[in-house]
Amino acid sequence: MEKKVLLVEDEKNIILGVRTCLEAVGYEVHVVEDGEAALRFVRNEKPHLILLDLILPKVDGFEVCYNLKNDEETRDIPVVVLTAKAAEEDRKRAMEQGADAYMTKPFRPQELWDEIKRYLPEGKESQEK
Amino acid sequence: MAPDTPPLFDNLQLLQILPDPLILTDSSSNIVWVNQKAEEIFGISCEEIKGWSFIEIIKINKIDKLLKEALETGEVSDSSYEAATIKVKSHEGKYFFKIVIRPMWNENSIQGALIQLTDVTRFKELEKLKTDFVSIVSHEIRTPLSSITMGVGMLKEGLLGQLTPRGKEMVDAIERDCERLSKLVENLLDLSRIEAGHISLETQWIEVEGLIDEAIRPMKMQAEENNVEIETIISSDLPRIEADFNKIVWVLANLVGNALRYSDSGDKVTVQSKVSGNRIFFSVEDRGCGIPEEYQETIFQKYVQVKGHKGPAGGAGLGLAICKEIVEAHGGQIWVESEEDKGSVFTFTLPLTLREENLED
Repeated sequence: MEKKVLLVEDEKNIILGVRTCLEAVGYEVHVVEDGEAALRFVRNEKPHLILLDLILPKVDGFEVCYNLKNDEETRDIPVVVLTAKAAEEDRKRAMEQGADAYMTKPFRPQELWDEIKRYLPEGKESQEK
Repeated sequence: MAPDTPPLFDNLQLLQILPDPLILTDSSSNIVWVNQKAEEIFGISCEEIKGWSFIEIIKINKIDKLLKEALETGEVSDSSYEAATIKVKSHEGKYFFKIVIRPMWNENSIQGALIQLTDVTRFKELEKLKTDFVSIVSHEIRTPLSSITMGVGMLKEGLLGQLTPRGKEMVDAIERDCERLSKLVENLLDLSRIEAGHISLETQWIEVEGLIDEAIRPMKMQAEENNVEIETIISSDLPRIEADFNKIVWVLANLVGNALRYSDSGDKVTVQSKVSGNRIFFSVEDRGCGIPEEYQETIFQKYVQVKGHKGPAGGAGLGLAICKEIVEAHGGQIWVESEEDKGSVFTFTLPLTLREENLED
């Protein structure tokens, strides 16, 4: 079974980049574009990992993270924040809400793969097994 | 009881019309007189407060401290902009004032002091606007930069098909410029954070040698490629220092990076550290084209680039400005000595006022 990654992002070009980058190594990528949809998707679909932007329509990334990490059913799903917010106080705040990792934009495909591999060792490999 | 007005303070009517708040004190910091603007800003009346101690009436410790210093030393208070700026909330709104305190001498004795507050509110507002602007712009650049960086990365990895040799060359060029843009945005953001007063030092006791190693290590490959030697001269008796490790590494790496950029093949860059008095000195010396004299003072200001420079292009003139902010936040100083066509030595100091052994006592 392919590992299911949820990308929560509202920038079309980033969606295209991340999707292409992750599908190339065998992850199944799902995209939602606002915080409310993210919470709904996670509760229904239980992805293996969440890539979360912070500035989002409806419910922002901090709140999404807080909600997921305070819900027994979703707290173990790794949350990797992908954001243009580079300030230390934002990083701190996201980590306090329970984020597992914090990546600032811009990043290279290799950096993204490396980060995801820390939580989901199998991408393509699992598909080939 | 109101003291008699000393002769020097006669004829104060003229000062009434000045637009800045003025306060006169005697040599014991008691208020002698205030002008109309000071009455308005602080909500006081000159007649009622005469003879009262300054700090009892205008409860601003920063001014009181500068006042006491000026009365003691007899010298005009000469603090940096940040140290001498205060915020005052009055019923008319929020003001920022720069404080200057001038002791008033009568023959050989100090009679009192004139506290002059210059309204810098507009300046502060503009400064904030600029800082916010830089922060927003940098943030907005990051997002598109991210999709470009990812796209380029995938093209290079061959995930989107094989590139022709010319295509690969092009993609490499885009990647290099993406890195340049990222670095610029990074620097702009660092600076806007520092200017917004968000420079928080996370100090710890650190070994100088480890600090220098950490700063130089990432540069070694570049130095080898350009056939430039990085030499380190570190006194063996250096104490551990209390500083923000990452920020001082940033400063040193920036200085070494600059030195490498201005070095020719076969040159040497020397990084030195030694203690003198109660300061530790770090210096980075290159044998490059040097800095024209007229730029040696201004080169630490933002966006200053040396015109008609023989060295390599690039950089927005932010690196040294950030270095200066970081060094000064530690209570140190930074300067350059340079001779055209011979090279430059950038030196910065950090205070050793707190010695570890003293703290442990």
